[in-house]
Amino acid sequence: MSSKFEPKGALGRAAHAFEETAIAILLGSMTMLSFVAVIMRYVFNSSFIWSLEVILILFAWLVIFGVSYGFKMTAHLGVDVITNTLAPRTRKITALIAGGVCIVYAFLLLKGSWDFWAPYAALDRTSGRWFPTGFEQTRDQAWFVTDQVPPMRWLFGWLEPLINQNEEYEKLPRVVPYLILPLGSALILFRIIQAVIAIARDERTGLIVSHEAEDAVEEVAAANRAAEATVQAQAQRS
Amino acid sequence: MEVVLLFSMIIGLLLIGVPIAVSLGFSSIMFLLVFSDTSLGSIAQSFYQAMAGHYTLLAIPFFILASSFMSTGGVARRIIRFSIACVGHLRGGLAIAGVFACMMFAALSGSSPATVVAIGTIVIAAMKQAGYTKEFAAGVICNAGTLGILIPPSIVMVVYASATDVSVGRMFLAGVIPGLLAGLSLMVAIYVFARLRNMPKGEFAGWGEIGAAFRDAFWGLMLIVIIMVGIYGVPGLTGAIFTPTEAAAVASVYAFVVAMFVYRDIGPLAPKGANSLSAAVAGPVEGTPKSLFQAPWALLTAFVHPDTKHTLVEAGKLTITLMFIIANALILKHVLTDEQIPQHIAQAMLGAGLGPITFLIVVNVILLIGGQFMEPSGLLVIVAPLVFPIAIELGIDPIHLGIIMVVNMEIGMITPPVGLNLFVTSGVAGMPMMDVVKAAAPFLAVLFCFLILVTYVPAISLWLPTLVMGPEIIIR
Repeated sequence: MSSKFEPKGALGRAAHAFEETAIAILLGSMTMLSFVAVIMRYVFNSSFIWSLEVILILFAWLVIFGVSYGFKMTAHLGVDVITNTLAPRTRKITALIAGGVCIVYAFLLLKGSWDFWAPYAALDRTSGRWFPTGFEQTRDQAWFVTDQVPPMRWLFGWLEPLINQNEEYEKLPRVVPYLILPLGSALILFRIIQAVIAIARDERTGLIVSHEAEDAVEEVAAANRAAEATVQAQAQRS
Repeated sequence: MEVVLLFSMIIGLLLIGVPIAVSLGFSSIMFLLVFSDTSLGSIAQSFYQAMAGHYTLLAIPFFILASSFMSTGGVARRIIRFSIACVGHLRGGLAIAGVFACMMFAALSGSSPATVVAIGTIVIAAMKQAGYTKEFAAGVICNAGTLGILIPPSIVMVVYASATDVSVGRMFLAGVIPGLLAGLSLMVAIYVFARLRNMPKGEFAGWGEIGAAFRDAFWGLMLIVIIMVGIYGVPGLTGAIFTPTEAAAVASVYAFVVAMFVYRDIGPLAPKGANSLSAAVAGPVEGTPKSLFQAPWALLTAFVHPDTKHTLVEAGKLTITLMFIIANALILKHVLTDEQIPQHIAQAMLGAGLGPITFLIVVNVILLIGGQFMEPSGLLVIVAPLVFPIAIELGIDPIHLGIIMVVNMEIGMITPPVGLNLFVTSGVAGMPMMDVVKAAAPFLAVLFCFLILVTYVPAISLWLPTLVMGPEIIIR
């Protein structure tokens, strides 16, 4: 049930352009970095010690950031055999229930992400097992650093007085790569809520597609129909 | 008992239209919060570590990117031209060429629906023109398209390998002979059909055309060589050159260079309107691509060209959806391992006197049913963590099990009533679903025999990897 996505409004277009550019840059730089690392190792017999760790961080950023984009574009895979056979009204209700499940999921993920990330940023994690009931005193883990990534002090130097008692970071602090967890899951929650509202307003029928090539199939089907229409038109003319 | 609850919850959520990833993640999180003392924080950590801690899975985005650059209409057209030149003169030649093209494209793309779209779009139209029935054309492509996940490099195999910690290299090699065998048996079936029904045959265009078509398709096919030689080395000369992940990264850069500067179907040197699938339906592209000498700045602009960005975004989107499922499946795997669920089932099965053969039949049935509803990678990450430990207990080879699962899902995709590839083909061929089902049925029977053969003759899958990489060590 996919359809070509059209962003609405100036803000929508800007956000869409930003998301696509970010995905392209993340994937592109992962690829180039891996390629360069391979070439360095086999041709020049040397390597950047940090390349693998950086590639894996970019990979995590790509996916966790991109999941919200996937919800926006209705790109996530699912099973639509049953829902396709339902009457529009029942279908809408099941889609809303499915949306509710997704909201709970994203909310739990967001709480978990905060709880995981907060100690690395010298912040407190939330108390409560299911729902955040407040903040609890947490042991500071802001001095944890990544294994190999250079500290890039020109970019992250301001973190040192803020969370590391003015001590210099020897490597990139973990708070930076892990930041994508709270950021990404907040975005996921936001996009799911948007999608559920769109379903309630009948602007969307569901949250899923059944396979990854749906767009391409529709494009071909449309081209086929167009071609047949031309053939028929020619036949009528002659 | 809890495990029944867990899996009913997953299936229930799937059926009401919850995304696969969320069904898995939601059910597992509920299970962990209720039955264990795992905190949400550690679940979030394992979500992050699914990407940052799994080097094997890094191959997935690179293979997807390589195939995205190679999946343009132009590469499919070149491969089809080459296959028609090779086998088009046989009776039913165009259909056989279609299967041949699907096999080659499958090796480039690693995705079944993508293969059906790319090859089907062109071949079905060509077969109708040559005097075949539309039904026959659709049936052939629908079946041949499923080879995409069996012939290496296959994304589904990477997923299986990382879900069960077996070697990706071994899985790829194990897929070679079954993949060729499946393609060959389809070709033979088509040939027999064609003789019986006296189907059209083409003219033999001569060795010159074969050579020319091969030179044209060469750069695309080289991708397979780079990956295979990279992973396994040149036989007898070198050992492995790359890890599968590195091979995939090199392949995607290679695919970028070929698409941009050699084939020039997309990017700054492309003629207008060359890259879209609708152009592939409409016929050969008019206008010639620019040469690099006319526009040397293309060396730089290629990196920021809209086509590059579009390809990266499409590949990124597919990576994201697959990895989202896998990351959540890893949480499920965590639940299963903690609770020792597969081990309990295995003990129960052994206690009841059920052997490997009964077990494999059960696996066959589960996957055939599941494969109809669900995209293969998604199904695999649900079933593999449950089935794999049981198989090991029963003494089934992990690589062999992987091939069985892949072939099963392949057939699930074209099994009526709802196989995924049937939907794709009905969209591409522009004909009703039931007609495609009928058209695909005879060839489905061929693949079914093939499934039985692969399931109960392990040597078909295991001979080549053992020959190249030595006997495998199984740690229980």
